[in-house]
Amino acid sequence: MNIVISGVGGQGTILASKILAEAAKQSGAEFVRTGETIGMSQRGGSVLSFLREGNISSPYIQKGGADLLLSFELCEGARNLPYLKKGGNAVINTAKIKPLSVSLGNAVYDEAAITGYINENSSATFIDAEKIAVSLGNAKCINIVMLGAAFGKGFLNFGKETLIEAIKSTVKPQFTELNINAFEKGIEATEL
Amino acid sequence: MTETRYSYTRLRGERVEISEILSSRIENMRKLLLGNEAIAQAAIESGVGVVCGYPGTPSTEILETAARLKADAPNLYIEWSTNEKAAVEVAAGAAYSGVRVLVTMKQVGLNVASDPVMCLSYIGVKGGMVIVVADDPGPISSQTEQDTRHFAEYAHIPVLDPSSPEEAYLMTKAAFLMSQRLGKPVILRPTTKVCHASATIQIAEYRIQNIEDRYSPLRGEHCDDLKDLHRELPAGAPRFVKDPRWVIFPPLAYRRHNEIAEMLQKESESATEFDKFYNEHSRYGIAAGGVTWAILNDVLIDLDVIISRLKIGRPHPAPLRLADTFLAETECVLVLEELDPVIEDILISRKGVIGRDIQIMGKRSGFVSHAGELLYADIKKYVCDFLGLSNHDNEEDLIAAPDCTPVRAPVLCAGCPHRASFYAVKTAAKGKNPIYCGDIGCYTLGNAKPLETTDTCLCMGAGITIAQGIKHSNPDTTVFGFIGDSTFFASGITGLANAVYNNVDVNIIILDNRITAMTGGQPHPGTGKTMMNTDSPPIDIEAVVKALGVGFVKKCNPFDQVSAVETVKSAVDFNGTSVVIFEAPCINLIKKPKLYTVEGCIGCMRCVNEIGCPSIFVEDKTAKINSDLCYGCGLCQYVCKAGKIKEVTL
Repeated sequence: MNIVISGVGGQGTILASKILAEAAKQSGAEFVRTGETIGMSQRGGSVLSFLREGNISSPYIQKGGADLLLSFELCEGARNLPYLKKGGNAVINTAKIKPLSVSLGNAVYDEAAITGYINENSSATFIDAEKIAVSLGNAKCINIVMLGAAFGKGFLNFGKETLIEAIKSTVKPQFTELNINAFEKGIEATEL
Repeated sequence: MTETRYSYTRLRGERVEISEILSSRIENMRKLLLGNEAIAQAAIESGVGVVCGYPGTPSTEILETAARLKADAPNLYIEWSTNEKAAVEVAAGAAYSGVRVLVTMKQVGLNVASDPVMCLSYIGVKGGMVIVVADDPGPISSQTEQDTRHFAEYAHIPVLDPSSPEEAYLMTKAAFLMSQRLGKPVILRPTTKVCHASATIQIAEYRIQNIEDRYSPLRGEHCDDLKDLHRELPAGAPRFVKDPRWVIFPPLAYRRHNEIAEMLQKESESATEFDKFYNEHSRYGIAAGGVTWAILNDVLIDLDVIISRLKIGRPHPAPLRLADTFLAETECVLVLEELDPVIEDILISRKGVIGRDIQIMGKRSGFVSHAGELLYADIKKYVCDFLGLSNHDNEEDLIAAPDCTPVRAPVLCAGCPHRASFYAVKTAAKGKNPIYCGDIGCYTLGNAKPLETTDTCLCMGAGITIAQGIKHSNPDTTVFGFIGDSTFFASGITGLANAVYNNVDVNIIILDNRITAMTGGQPHPGTGKTMMNTDSPPIDIEAVVKALGVGFVKKCNPFDQVSAVETVKSAVDFNGTSVVIFEAPCINLIKKPKLYTVEGCIGCMRCVNEIGCPSIFVEDKTAKINSDLCYGCGLCQYVCKAGKIKEVTL
C-alpha cells in the first residue's frame, strides 16, 4: 500500500506516518518504509510524508502512485493530488492555513477553485478536522482525527485495535487519551 | 557464542546476508528506524566511546539518537561541539587513544572541519573513526550541492555511500571495522533521502562485533563478552601512548603520502559487500549508487526491465576490478547518481584502462542533469530514453497538476524574536539605505518580504566579515552584520576580532535566541546545557564581546521596540565596531504567554505589510489573527497605529 500524507509544518504529518508505519509493522508487514521532506518545514513550509509497505526498495512514491492521500490542509491537498492514482482514495481537511504570500497579496488562496479542482479529479472525502480537534480542546490532534476519518471510510487496511495500539506506542503518554478520543471522533465524522 | 546471520533486502527477491558473531543472550529485534537513527544505533552497537558533531540538516538526528541511547552505553561521551572542526579534533584525540569515535555533520560542515580531516588521513587513528557527512542533493536546506564522495577522494579517505536506512546501519558497522583495519578515518556519506527515510531494520539488542575484529574499543584488547564493553575502565587500561606518529612533520607527511596511495590502491583491488555487479548478460548496463540505486530498482521492476547493473557502495577507493568486469560485459552504460559524476568518472577512466569502446551516458555526456535530486520520474525518464522505451506515463492516467495552489514558502514563526529584531533594525536605519549582511540560521528567512533585511548570505560566520569588506568599499554606507548565538560561537568570534582590531565601523547584531533553533533546538556554549545532561556555566556573549574590546556593546529585548530602535540608532552613531545583542528565547523554549486578537480593524493592512507574521491573515479586507498560531509576542500591537489589536490572557 502506498500512502501520501501532506500538510503544513507543525501539523503532525510525520507523527501520523509513524503511527501508520507502526500499525503496518504490527499487522505483520514484512517491510515498511517512510520518507519525508522536512528540511525547512518546521517554519510553516509544506510537508510531504510517504509510507509504503511491501516488496519495494525506496520509500518514494511517484505521481499517480498513491492508493491514499491524506491532507491535513486544503490547498496542500490540491497541490499533492497528482500523487494519487486515478480512482484512489483521499481524505482532505477543509481547514485552511493561508501562506504569508496570500496575506501580502502576492498570491491568491481561492477556496472554491481549490475545492473544485479536487472534486473534479477525485472523489475525495472532505472533513473539518480542525473543528473536531478544537472541540476536543486541542487543535494539535488534527492528525489523529484525520487517521480516524481514513479508518472510518475503510481506507486503511489495519484493524481498529492495531491502530489504537500504534497510537499508544507513538504519542507521548500524557496525550494518549486525547488522541484516542480524536481517533474515535474522526471515525464518527465519517459515519454522519 | 552464537553466530547469527543478518539479512536485508537489497533488491526485490534478493537478500544479502552478513554474518556476525554475537555474544550470548542476544535477541533480534525489528525496529522502524530513521536512517539517522539507524546510524546511531549501529555506532552504539559497535561500541563507540565518543560521539561529537555540530547540528546541520539532514545529519542532526544521528547525535540526538546516540544521546537517547546513552543508557545502553554508560561509558559513552557525547557532545554538540562548538563547530565541526572542534568535533573532529576532539574525536581524533579519543581515537588516538584507541577509542571508537563517531563524528556527525552536514556537507558544508565538512568545509569547516576540512583542516583536521585533510591531515587525519596522514596521521591516522588507533580506535575506529567514522565521520558521518550528510549530503543534501536538491539542495533542500543547504547552501551548496557539494559531493562528499569527491571530498573523500581529495582527502584520501575511504567513503561509504548508503542507499537506504538499513544499508546505513550495516555500513556504519562496516565503517568502524574498516577504519580500525586500515588505521584511517572512514567517511559515511548518507544523503537527505537516506537520513530522513525510515525502514524496518533488524537490530541486535546488544553491541556486536565482527568475527575478525572482536576488539574492545575502550581498552584496545581482545574482549569476549561484549557486555564487558559497558563496564568501567579498569585501572591501568591502555590510554594515549606517546609516539612520534602523532606529530605531523613534513618528512612524516611525505612517507605517509606514499603509504596512503599504496593502501588505497590495494583496497581498490577488492570490492566491499556493498559493491555488486548484477550480471544479466545484457549489452546495456546501468551503474548507480546511493538512494538513486534504491529508486532505480523500483523503476526497473515497474518497467519490467531486466538489465545488468553495477552498484557502487564504496565510491572511494572504487572497486576497480568489479568496475572492469561490468565494463567488459557491456557496450553501452548509463550512470545514475546525484551530485557529482563520481561513479561516471571511475567508469570513464576504467574504460580507458581496459581499452574497450563503450559508450558511457551520464552527466559528462550531457545526458543527465548535474543539479538537484534524481526523483523517481527523472530516473524513469533517463532509463526509458537510454533504452529507447516509450515513457509509459500516459497523460490521461495521471491527475493534472493544479494551477490554483498558492506558494507556501517557509517563514519565521509567529512570535519569533528575530522578526522583532529585524523590524527594530529596519526602523532605526530608515532613510539610511543600509546594507544587511545575513548569516546561516532561521534568521536567513529575514530576506523574505516584507522584512527584506538580508542582502547577503554565504556561509557560517560570514555576515560579520562580509559586512567589513562591504564597509571598506562603501565607506559612506551603514552596514549591518547579523549573526545568531550558536553561529557566533561556531565561527563568529574570529570575524568580530577582525572587525574590532581593524577598527571597522560596522554594526553587528547578535540574535541571541538561547538555542540552535534552525536544526530543532540543540544546546551551545551559551545555553548552560550539555549533551551529557549536565549543567555548565553558560558563556556570556556580552562578556565575550566586551573582552574582544568592542567599544559599543548593548544588550536589549527586541520586543521592547522603543528601546530596541534607540539602541540600534546609538550603535549606528558610534564610530567603530558596535555590537547589539538582541536577547529573547526561541518560541520553542517558552510556553505561549498570551495571545492577541483584532477588534474593529480599519483595514489599513499595516500589520500585514510591515512585519509579515504568519498568524495574521486577511478576510473580508480586514486583518485577523489565527489564535492557534499566535504566540503572543505583541509586535503587531506595537505596529497597529489604529490601536485595534488587543491582548487576550490565557
